[in-house]
Amino acid sequence: MNRRVVIALLAGGALLALVPWLHLPAFYESILYLVLHWVLLATSWNILSGYSGYFSFGHGAFFGAGVYTTAVLAGKFDWPFLATLPAAAAVATGLGVALGAVVFRVRAVRGELFALLTLAVTFVLATIVLNTPIDGGPGIYLSAVPVPALAPTQPGTFYLLALAGAVGSLLIAYTVQRSRLGVGLFAIHDDEDAAEVMGVPTYRYKLAALAISCALAGVAGGVHALFISYVTTGEVFSITVPLTVILMSVLGGTRHWAGPAVGATLITALLYAFTKGDLALAGKATTGAVLIAAILFMPQGIVPRLLKRRAAAPAAAKPPPVAIAPMSAPALALKGDTLLRATALTKSFFGVQALAGVDIEVRRGEILGLIGPNGSGKSTFINVVSGHYPATSGGIAFEGREIARLAAHRIAHAGIARTYQVPRPFAHLSVRDNVAAAAMFGGASLSASRARAEADHWLAFTGLADKADVLPDALNLHQRKFLELARALASRPRLVLLDEVLCGLNPAEIDDAVALIRRIRDAGTTVVFVEHVMRAVTALSDRLVVLNHGQLLAEGAAADVMQRRDVVAAYLGTAHAAEGH
Amino acid sequence: MTLPSATLLAQSALSGLFVGALYGLIGLGLGLSWGLLRTINLAHFAFTFAAAYLCYQLVSSTGIDPLLTLVVIAPLFFALGCALHWLVQRFEVTPLNSLLVTFGVTAIIEAGIQAIWSADFRRLESHYAQAKFKLGALFVPVPELITLGVALALSFAIWALLKHTDLGKALRAAALDAPIAAAFGVNQRVLALLLAGTCAALAAVAGVCLSLSFTLAPSQIYAWVGVVFAAVMMGGLGSALGPLVAGIVIGVSEALTMAVTAPSWAPIVSFTLLIALLLVRPEKA
Amino acid sequence: MLLRVTDLDVAYGPAPALWGVSLAVRAGELLSVVGPNGAGKSTLINTLAGLLRARAGTIEFDGHDITRLPAHRFCAAGIALVPEGRRLFATMSVRENLELGSLLPSARTRRATSLEHALALFPALKPKLQSPAASLSGGQQQMVAIARALMCRPKLLLLDEPSLGLSPLVVQDLFAAIRRIGADGMTMLLVEQNVATALQIAQRVYVLEQGRIVAEGDPQSMLARSEIRRAYLGSEA
Repeated sequence: MNRRVVIALLAGGALLALVPWLHLPAFYESILYLVLHWVLLATSWNILSGYSGYFSFGHGAFFGAGVYTTAVLAGKFDWPFLATLPAAAAVATGLGVALGAVVFRVRAVRGELFALLTLAVTFVLATIVLNTPIDGGPGIYLSAVPVPALAPTQPGTFYLLALAGAVGSLLIAYTVQRSRLGVGLFAIHDDEDAAEVMGVPTYRYKLAALAISCALAGVAGGVHALFISYVTTGEVFSITVPLTVILMSVLGGTRHWAGPAVGATLITALLYAFTKGDLALAGKATTGAVLIAAILFMPQGIVPRLLKRRAAAPAAAKPPPVAIAPMSAPALALKGDTLLRATALTKSFFGVQALAGVDIEVRRGEILGLIGPNGSGKSTFINVVSGHYPATSGGIAFEGREIARLAAHRIAHAGIARTYQVPRPFAHLSVRDNVAAAAMFGGASLSASRARAEADHWLAFTGLADKADVLPDALNLHQRKFLELARALASRPRLVLLDEVLCGLNPAEIDDAVALIRRIRDAGTTVVFVEHVMRAVTALSDRLVVLNHGQLLAEGAAADVMQRRDVVAAYLGTAHAAEGH
Repeated sequence: MTLPSATLLAQSALSGLFVGALYGLIGLGLGLSWGLLRTINLAHFAFTFAAAYLCYQLVSSTGIDPLLTLVVIAPLFFALGCALHWLVQRFEVTPLNSLLVTFGVTAIIEAGIQAIWSADFRRLESHYAQAKFKLGALFVPVPELITLGVALALSFAIWALLKHTDLGKALRAAALDAPIAAAFGVNQRVLALLLAGTCAALAAVAGVCLSLSFTLAPSQIYAWVGVVFAAVMMGGLGSALGPLVAGIVIGVSEALTMAVTAPSWAPIVSFTLLIALLLVRPEKA
Repeated sequence: MLLRVTDLDVAYGPAPALWGVSLAVRAGELLSVVGPNGAGKSTLINTLAGLLRARAGTIEFDGHDITRLPAHRFCAAGIALVPEGRRLFATMSVRENLELGSLLPSARTRRATSLEHALALFPALKPKLQSPAASLSGGQQQMVAIARALMCRPKLLLLDEPSLGLSPLVVQDLFAAIRRIGADGMTMLLVEQNVATALQIAQRVYVLEQGRIVAEGDPQSMLARSEIRRAYLGSEA
């Protein structure tokens, strides 16, 4: 956490708080209010949608909930205005959390579907508000509500309230970005399923971000209700709010806490610079043109572009290497007992049984090879054990504990990690941060600073140390597979599931990888690996399990299993059997 | 709350059918653009209204049949659509950022419309406006019927094109994997420009149909955004028939709700249905 | 010489990936390119298929200079690609994928016969014609990818790591099919990680290392060179 940023924000806020005493014309104070109002709204939207990638088209609903809470409480029930603000925040948050609690459970509702759903919620809420005594149709007048005298003028008071909100939201956005929650949200943004399997409690984190976002939007709404002093559903729940906050955030940069603020300031200033008379239309057109130009030439947003310029500065000094303690010996001492037992494990997809009741036992300290034809259920087995998919039926006991239908992040915390056949790195995080995230959220659950040191250790182990600061798309396939491996190991699992880690490597590279996997086992981690490269399978496996059509075909010592006629016929083919590979 | 007569309900459903067909017609180009070109084209609505205004102007000035204005308007917007997509291609704009760029274009077009025709309401006067005939107990207004016919014809034509012709398959393949499609002879860049132009021309057609039945005002542009996006997302991105079906479902449920309760309750049925659909069977969406 | 590549320089992103690569393919032969990961094999094949542009050097195919040809014209020139990882059009049916291989007018008119020929080569695909490509197993998808390229009626077939991720039994069948295609007279350039099989099947081999051709010859003489054996066959050698 960079103290300087926090101090700068607070100092800046304090300085700006003096503006009402400059006695500017009301027009300018109102414009300044609007700028800060949009900074608050856009920043609050970005905390969920920008960081996690769940683009909400429904910010208008939460904003509107805040508006109407204040309007009803102050306008109809004569509450003091300032007292309505916490209520506005609470109602908006309650609405958001209720919505999120349901929607975030439905796995397929992401991307456009989430956008659509939140848009629909806005319309539904608007209709309900319009047709019930909350509004009823004529709108609510707040002109009789006394404005607290925080500043010499009324617009000045609104300005101060919006300033407090804006500075508060920036502080919160900054804090979230640097926190564990922020890292988790950014991981969710890049690959939610991989993040969940790695140990990020995705449901909880999304709800938290949504709650914060709604609370801030509610406050913005409450203040705005009194500012406009006449509230109608048409104005409040229009598509302008959601669309505008998206535009402002994307323009400024969604991956940075200050991005939405920059976008908001720019767009609001542009729009209102032209408010005088005939220029309004020209202003609108100019804003459009500026927006187009900015996106075409700065697609990541303004703030990242500005930061890139400054990044020519020398890299921060690396922290001194922290000695990493090897896995404790007791793990090896217990070698041989059952670590994982799958019983009658079944997984069906749309009526097709990918796993049809398999019984597999994994012993502590062994390297278990899992082979079989494509479509035999090997990857499905890994997916079910790691929690990527829930099992349809059957049980999985890990160290005696039933894990079959647990949330994937809990399985990760129990000590299981996996790699993906097609590597799924977090595209916007550096190689080191990818591995550090696993150290933070996986079974090891390290703090941010210790996680980075741990990441460096595992990058060195897999030979990726010199690539630590690049983005994953700069790596070739082999390196990306090893990044998967480093990420899996960084969570210090007791069981690691490797899904075709060797595919795409040439024989010399395969030898290196085999040696690496042996070292992993010797350090105390049990290994289950799926492979087609028979050289590696025979070299590594203590035991082999052969799957075919979702069922267990054979199981036992490698040499024995490979000789069996049914295994040869189903999978190996005569070439391997004859040459005894 | 007494239930209205069967005739009234049927008439409501019919008018819902018609407005739903317009939702679908506007959504047709939007969905194709989103699904096949990865562009979320907010300017589609601005194009629709610009075409509507142009049609209004041409009819007011020359008195020709509104539908004939398409001879001029459709190619014009085809060219506009191509030009806009050329820009998107040239700068490799991501789908999300396309939302912003097109929003910018919308702002410019909206300002232009207001500059030329002012913010006042405009209504196209033509011999279609009052034409209607009776089908049993129901009144069928001709402009709306034309809109329905156009929507059905275009949706089916495009569906057939996408499903059964080589051109359609090439378009779908290019949307799935442009470099590999190119390796098999698909000139993705040219096809994309043609498709973008077609989508804009479809917007223009929708605009002309819109001008036959609705009063025009610049502020109206955004009124359609929500419900048409809903129709597109419900019907499926890149689908030719989906937006039409979804649009009609939304239109009819809105109209029936309006008939049974108050007009202001209209959005609730369709959008609640949508929410329920998304939560229960999201894969269908 | 059906294909002649001279002094090819290709950059992949900012980094150069191929330096001064020269190779030649005779009509009717099966040429294999082997080398370690990151050597540039995929870059080479993607450049020959038109997906990447060369910075310098020339590619001459069937007497024409195709170095500056736009990507979508390579198929018409007579070069068809079986991409790494199959890259089928996942949501489209197998039949549609195959039809997309024959979009060009010349291939279109002979679509029906090309389809018959492809199904004769890969009979397992016949019951799967209407299924979406993504629902097929890895081996079947590879068959579709090869068949799709054949529908183009090419003069040169480029195969990029066809055995990647496939089980040994399936790989056997696959290479048997590739041999049959070669026996019918097709010229092929094969990039393969599975060095042992590549050496068995090819008539000539190029070794690519860090963007440069470092060795060339027939498989036997390749195997005889101990440093090649050690590098690419590892402890198996």
